Parts: sequence; structure tokens; C-alpha cells
Amino acid sequence: MKPLIATAVFAILMMFAALTVKEKKSFTHFAAILMLGLVGLNVWELADYNRLLASAQASPDLFGKMLRVDNYALWFNVLMSSCSFFYILLVGRSIEKVGVHVGEYYALHFFILCGVFLLSTYNNLLILFLGIEILSIPQYILSGSDKRNLKSSEASLKYFLMGAFSTGILLMGIVLLYGAMGTFDIHGFNFYATGTLNIMGVVGVLFMLVALGFKVSAAPMHFWTPDVYDGSPTPFTAFMATIVKVSVFFAFMRLFMEGFANLDPYWKVTVLGTITVLTLLIGNITAVYQQSVKRMLAYSSIAQAGFMMFVVIGSNAMAMKGMIIYAVAYTLATVGIFGVLLKLKDYTYDGFNGLAKKHPFLALIASICLMSLAGIPLTAGFFAKWFVIAAALEQPGTFWLVIFALVMAAVSLYYYFKVIMAMYFKTGEPELITPVTTMDKVVMAIIGSAVIVFGIAPDMLLAWI
Amino acid sequence: MCNFLWLASTEGIGSYAPVLIQLLIAGAVVSLLMLLTHILGPKRKTKDKLINFESGIEQIGNARKPMGVKYFIVAILFVLFDVEVIFFYPYAVNFRELGTEGFLAVLMFVALFVCGFVYVIKKGALKWED
Amino acid sequence: MSLILLLVIPLITGLASFAFRKAQAVKAWALFGSLLTLVVAALSLCGIKEQTHTISYTWLPTLGASFALQGSVTALLMTLLTAIVFPLTLLAQWNKDIEQPHRFYGLMLLAQAGLMGVFLAHDLLLFYFFWELALIPVYFLAGQWGDKDRIKSSFKFFVYTFLGSLLMLGGLIYLYLQTPNGNFDYDTILATGAALPMAVQNTLFVLFFIAFGIKMPIFPLHSWQAGAYEQTLTPVTIVLSALMVKMGLFGVIKWLYPVFPSGTEQFGNIIMILALIGIIYGSMLAIVQKDIKRLIAYSSLAHVGLMIMGIFADTHNASVGVVAQMFNHGITITGLWLVVDMIERRYGTRNMNELGGLAGAAPQMTIALVVITFSSIALPLTNGFVGEFLLFLGIFESTNPNHIIYMAIAGLGIILGAIYMLNMVQKVAYGNKKEMAIADMSMNERLSIYLILAVIIILGVYPNLLLQLL
Repeated sequence: MKPLIATAVFAILMMFAALTVKEKKSFTHFAAILMLGLVGLNVWELADYNRLLASAQASPDLFGKMLRVDNYALWFNVLMSSCSFFYILLVGRSIEKVGVHVGEYYALHFFILCGVFLLSTYNNLLILFLGIEILSIPQYILSGSDKRNLKSSEASLKYFLMGAFSTGILLMGIVLLYGAMGTFDIHGFNFYATGTLNIMGVVGVLFMLVALGFKVSAAPMHFWTPDVYDGSPTPFTAFMATIVKVSVFFAFMRLFMEGFANLDPYWKVTVLGTITVLTLLIGNITAVYQQSVKRMLAYSSIAQAGFMMFVVIGSNAMAMKGMIIYAVAYTLATVGIFGVLLKLKDYTYDGFNGLAKKHPFLALIASICLMSLAGIPLTAGFFAKWFVIAAALEQPGTFWLVIFALVMAAVSLYYYFKVIMAMYFKTGEPELITPVTTMDKVVMAIIGSAVIVFGIAPDMLLAWI
Repeated sequence: MCNFLWLASTEGIGSYAPVLIQLLIAGAVVSLLMLLTHILGPKRKTKDKLINFESGIEQIGNARKPMGVKYFIVAILFVLFDVEVIFFYPYAVNFRELGTEGFLAVLMFVALFVCGFVYVIKKGALKWED
Repeated sequence: MSLILLLVIPLITGLASFAFRKAQAVKAWALFGSLLTLVVAALSLCGIKEQTHTISYTWLPTLGASFALQGSVTALLMTLLTAIVFPLTLLAQWNKDIEQPHRFYGLMLLAQAGLMGVFLAHDLLLFYFFWELALIPVYFLAGQWGDKDRIKSSFKFFVYTFLGSLLMLGGLIYLYLQTPNGNFDYDTILATGAALPMAVQNTLFVLFFIAFGIKMPIFPLHSWQAGAYEQTLTPVTIVLSALMVKMGLFGVIKWLYPVFPSGTEQFGNIIMILALIGIIYGSMLAIVQKDIKRLIAYSSLAHVGLMIMGIFADTHNASVGVVAQMFNHGITITGLWLVVDMIERRYGTRNMNELGGLAGAAPQMTIALVVITFSSIALPLTNGFVGEFLLFLGIFESTNPNHIIYMAIAGLGIILGAIYMLNMVQKVAYGNKKEMAIADMSMNERLSIYLILAVIIILGVYPNLLLQLL
């Protein structure tokens, strides 16, 4: 597990760099280089694993069956670290402006990635718990890092209190499952071991569902999301809403696909379907009423979580593909739109008025990203929705659920296209707070073209599955 | 084309009527009792009732005063390093069984803590005076 | 090869248009591109007699989707219509100044590429792709250029059509999951769709039909139409009414009617009744309109209603009539919009009650208006007559128990059509409310309109030119 160790080491390196280096800019450069190294390590790990696989020496189990690696998880790690790399390139300059502890902010990002890698490869509920905690604690700090801002402090406190609570629930669920099954190994669960349904185990499943639902902001466990996403410094919101969220979904899906596979599918569809319907309904309807684009994106991330719930409902081969594509499509598009948002002074819809005339490139990238979020063909978002819907439809009894989700997707057009309408059809004088550098343009162009390329050939993302 | 929202019931929805009636009665009783206590109960409004309870001692000033957080930082750091020591107990008990590998593992654990300690010192978290 | 060219030429020319800076240059470039497309479209239709072209390349192997195009007669006729309408519109609108012309013409050509794709796609996923791709540029065209309520009306149009498409997407994925080994191929889809149980077919039929019905539009789903037609610039209105309407009809002919036979049987009658309501309702609304653009918008509802009835009448004559009328209606309504636009630009109003005396001021324009109006109300010797006659014949021959009543009510639509169209001509061309000297058609307008008139007359006098293909 080279990348996993590397994340921790890189984080410590960043922390020590923070002690000696004074120039803020060099942190971003250093972090970008380390992140590139992390991508390289992940690719190496993947190649190594496949080399061993070819010579039949590869063992999926690591650390006494605590972790379990396969091509799928390693490929997910590669994609997530690459997305983080582009994220740093795009928002690095805004991170420098958040506060004085720039080095620590990056260190926390690396710690979060450590959690991400644990979540993608866990084979044991203890590691799941560790991963969730390693992932969450740095987020509490990051969301409060703009100390002088009251909203940021509010976000941090809210997130911490609610997060601590959900952690407790997660732990309770794990304990109940352990009591019922006698094991932490997710492959060792059998809910019908005694011939009848193990009720204590099911209660444990429900507890874990609540806790994980909280982390991915699925309704009705979503109430923290808008305030935290809105209050946190914008660059960190971009990270929390994308890479962190999809990683927890990855763990969520693996738990249901591998751990809870022998639960009654009808029961799963009912429980998860209820959560999905609520999430889609609340996320989309509330997003319509927002005035600020940043807050709208917070609600939209709830709405997108509703769609990602389909991979948990599906929990099949199609869902695995859908997870990868949704993760990349959603992450790229959201990071892209946040990248544009960070350039603007005014986060309301009116702040976008006339952007197409003054900064056509920014407007174009924002439009591509928004269209991808809305799921319009020729963008990656379309195939993301396609795969998750197909995954859900393979389960019995989900047809009307899917139709409901599609109607909600039409609702989502309203708030996504409100931004596009402001940019293209209205006139105004949008003000930028930072000039658009060549670097920004290059990264944005990469993100925009990646969204379109994956929208034409999503197969590229499925090469390792 | 099964619809999971269908609540299939052989006896029809009517069999739930007693439950509904019971709910209504429960609600009515609760609201009635609350209303009655509100109307019948005595009301005495004094100033003393509204101030904070300070164990009988009279209040001095406002509680919302800024205060140094140094103490908390030191306390939290103390907890952190104290927990580290706790981890040594199981190791000490199993010292022989764990052998060289165990020794190296603990060495790494301590090394990480030293890293943290250096960081804490360098950051000035333990400096009492500003 | 020619099928790919039909897609690629508008796509490339459209993308290249964004690079231009001078208005005249981009106009010339767009005209050049669309003429090139027209040549290819005409040539491929001429070559149809030998064989139907089908090409297929692997696109997404994991999904079983392929880049498959088929040039059937109907498809090629629709591509020809698309290819004719664009250069004629560009030509007639040559003198009109448009803000940010490079964007406008670029989006127009991209819309053309999307439309071509819809008509040619032979793979369900590819069809869906193009179905959406045609919509996006048109949405931007409708939102950025036009009257002051354009943002609202274009968004209404967009949400309506997108909701329909999403419902179709749900049905599409369900259908895909039922195919034997995950395939979007047309033949596989046909076999799978027909083999589905009846209840499933009916549900999927409804989902698909909502998507197509919104685009046409059919009666209860039409409320986006008048606003969108009224608020957009004339070239965009033409794309919406002459071409995008045909997307819905074409979708029903190729992807709905054969795919879900049981659904068609179940809902055919209901849809015919809805179409009838549309004919009468649209005509009634058209009669009371003062704004010419709105009048034509509602008349379009009536015309499309007849075509929908033709599709579900399920007879040979009706199906020939539908395709012929789809082509003819496209030509006629293009001419109608162009003339209305000329009138509006010269008088500065579209309100019929404020217009008058066009016959004295601009006789050539009046002749064009009258001839196109005749075609619209299906007078013999115009192309409109051919299509509508075949449609009525087809509905009459239908096995539907109420076919005579249906035909009679639909016939009422023609009479109502004559009322509002002739009333419009009378108010605009005669009377003397507006004594204003205006210029008659300019050279480019004349060229464009005369070509349309030629098509109207030739296909009216010698319809075999069109009918022999079908």
C-alpha cells in the first residue's frame, strides 16, 4: 500500500514545510508536486498489482485481511488522486488566500486522501470506521479555517457536533453488527445464519445506513450540508462536496454490495429507495429557491447524492461502473464550476450576469460543467446518470423510483440553467477578484475537455474494471 | 413493474381505524391536559426566577468574557501524549512475545509522536507567554 | 459515406463559424456550408433507388452501442428538408443584422448537425444523443436572440422538451436492459420491444410518446409552443416549427410505432382523439389571434395534429401521406415565416389589425404570401394538397371504428384553416390601414422565396416526384 503510506508521509512533510517556509505560493507548488507523486504512486501500485496478477502472485488481502485491494479500488484511487491534483492546480491560489496556515491546509488534504484510500480498500468495519474518521476530522478543521468569518466558525462547529454524533451512531451500528455476526470482516456477514433473519444485524445495518447517509448528506440526514458547504471557505467546499463525498459513496456501495449482499433485496430497495426519494425531492426543490450560487451548489450536491444512492440500491456490476463514472463526472464538473465561482466577486446569480460577453472562456467552462451536472448528452454527466439508472433498474421494483428521479432531474435544470441564462442571456458587469491566469485556463480547458471526452467515450474510465 | 409504495393489505385500509382513533384520543388527552395546567395552574413571576442559578451566590458580571485558550491547547496536548503512554502498557506486557518486529513497530509509533511533538513545539503551542 | 458527410459538414462548418469575426464573412461561410450539405443530401436521396445505406461503427463496446446511421427514404427526405430549409433561410435573411453573428450562425449549423443525426441515427442510444444535441443549440439560439420575453419562453420550451426526453431515457434504459445481451441496435430493439409483456409495453409507449408528443407538439403538451415561436428570431422559429416538429413525428414513425406494437394498439385511438382536439383547438385559437406569428404557431398545432392522425390511422396511404406532408409542411411553413418576417421588418409590427395595403405597396410579396397561404390550406395544385389528401384518404380507409367521424372533424380543421389564413391575408394584403411605401422583396429574398414557390407548385402539379420515392 504505497499510496496509503505516502499520504500520511506527505501530510507530515507538508506540516514540517509549514514550519520553515514562509512564501505562501511555494506551498501550492509543493502540494501540487506531492499530489502528482501520489498519482504516480497510485498508477505504480495498479501496474504492480496487475503484474503480480499476471504471474498469479497477487493477493488481494493486506494487513491480515484488514484491507482488500483489487483493480477496481486501485483504479478509483488513481482517479481520485488525479482529480485532487487538478483541484489543487485550479484552486491553489484561492487556498492561499483563506488564512495564514496554508501548509497545514494542504497537509489536511493529504490526511483526507489517506481516509479516502482506506475507504476504497477496507475489508473490515474497523478500517471503515478509521477511514471515515480520518476523512472527517480534517474536514471539521478545514471548514472552520477562515477563523475571522462567523459563518465559517458556525460551519465548523455544526459539522463537528453533528459529525461526532453520526460517528457515534456508526460505531453503534458496527458494534451491533459485531454482536450479531461475531466478525468485523465485511465478507463474513450472513443475516440468515440461524435460518431466520438476524434482527440485531438489521438494526446494525440501519444504524450504519444513518451514519453513512449523514456523511454523504442523504436526506433526512442532510441538514448540516447547506450551512457547512455555504459557510466553509469556497475552495474547501469544492473538495468536501466532491472527492470526499464520492469516496464515502464508494465505501457505502461496497458495504452493501459485498457486506450486506444477502439481505433481502426488496427490503433494501424499500429502505434505500425512501432515502433516495427524500434526498432527490429535498435537494432539488430547495435548490430552486436559493439566491446564492454557492448555496445552490450545496443543495445540488444533495440532489446529486440522491442519484448516487442508485449505485447503493443497484449494488451490481453496472453500479460499479456507474460509481466510477459518476464519481469522475461529478467531481470534475463540480470542481470546474467552483473554479469559476472562485474567480467571481459576487456569488449570487446576478454576479454571473453577462459573464459570457466579458469572459467567454469562463462562461464556456461553467456551462459545460453545469450541463454535465444536469446530465445532458455529450457530457460525462449524461453517462453517469445513465449507468446509475441502469444499475438501479436491474433491481426489481425500482421503475417508478427511476421515473421520479428523472422528473427531479428536470427540476434540476431550473437552477443549473439559471446560471447559464445569467451568463449568456442577461447583461451585466461581472467583477473578478483574481485575474484568470494561463494556468487557470489550461486546467479549466483540461477539465472541460475531459468532461466532453468522457461524455463521448465513457469506456475510457472503465478500462480497469 | 412492481411498485414498492403499494401497501398491500388483504383486509383493506379500514382495519387501521382503531389505530387512528387511538392516536386521535391520545392527542386530545395530551392537549387537554396541557391546556388545563396552563389555565388552572398558579403563576408567579418574580425577577429571581429569571436569572441564572449560581448555587445561591449572587452573580458577578457577564459570563461571556474572552479568555485565553492556551490552557485548552495544553490540556488537549496532554491528553494526546498521555494516551500514547497508555499504549505502552500492552506493549510492555507482551514485550518478549512481540520480539524485534514489535520493537520496530513501537519505535515507529514513537517516532511519529516525536514528529508531532517537534511540530507542536515549533508552532509555539506550548509557549505560555505571548 | 454520404451519411457521415451529412453530419460532419454542418458540424465542422458550425464549429468553424465561431472563429469568424466579420458578419458578412460568417454569413457567406454558413451559406456555403449549408449549400454543401444540400448538395450531399440531394445526391444521397438520388442514390436511394439502388439500396438503403446503412453504416455502423463500434462506439461503446461495454454498452453495446454503435455509431450506426441508416439512410432510409423517410430519413433522407427529412435530411433533404433540413438541408433545403437552412440555405433558404440564410439567403432570405442575408440583409438582417444579428448581434454576435458568428455565434448565431455557428449554433444554427450545430442545430442542423443535431437534426441530421436524429433523422439518420440507427442506434437507440445514438438517436437519444442527437435528440438532445439538436435541442441544446436551439435553446441557446432561442434564449439569446429574440423578443424581450425570450428567456422565459425559451426556458419553458427547454424544460418541457427535456422533461420529455428524460422520461424517454428512463424507458430507453429499461428497454436496453431487456435486450438479450445489452444492445442498442435497431433490429434488436424492435425484436425486444415487440416481445415485451403488454403492460410493460404500454408504460414504455407512454414514456416515449410524451417525449415525442412534446416535440410535435400534441394537444395537452403544446403550451410551450406559441410563446417559443413568437419570441424567437425568424430563423430559429423556422428551425423549431419546420424541422424540430418533424423530429417528434419522425421519432414516432421510426422508434415508437414499430417498437411497441401492443402499446400502439392500446393508445392509438386515444392519440388520434388528442390529435383531433389539437386540430380544432389550434384552429380556434388561431382564429382569434392578432399577432401573425402566434396565428401560425397555432395553425401548426392543427397541421401536426392531422399528421399524427395519419401515423396512427395505420394504412398505406396515410403513411405515405404523413411523410409527404412532413416534407411539404416544412417547405410551406418556412416560406410563411420568411414572408411574415419581411412584413414585420418593413412595417415594424406583426399585429394584423395594424397592417394593411401590402398588395399595393409590394405586389411580389403579396403574391408569395397568397401562394404560400394556399399551400398551407391545402388548395389543389399546391404541395399541401397532395399530403393532406393522402392523409384524409388514409384516415378514411382506417380500420378504426370511428374513422368517418374522425375524418369529418379533421376536415372541419381544413375549413377553419381557410378561415384564419384567408382572414390574415385579407387584413395584411388589402385594406388601407397602413399607407406606407415599403420596398418590395430584395434580390436575395426574391431568390429564396421564388425557390420555395417553385417547390410548392412543382410538387403540387407533379407530386409523383415525391411520391415515387415512398
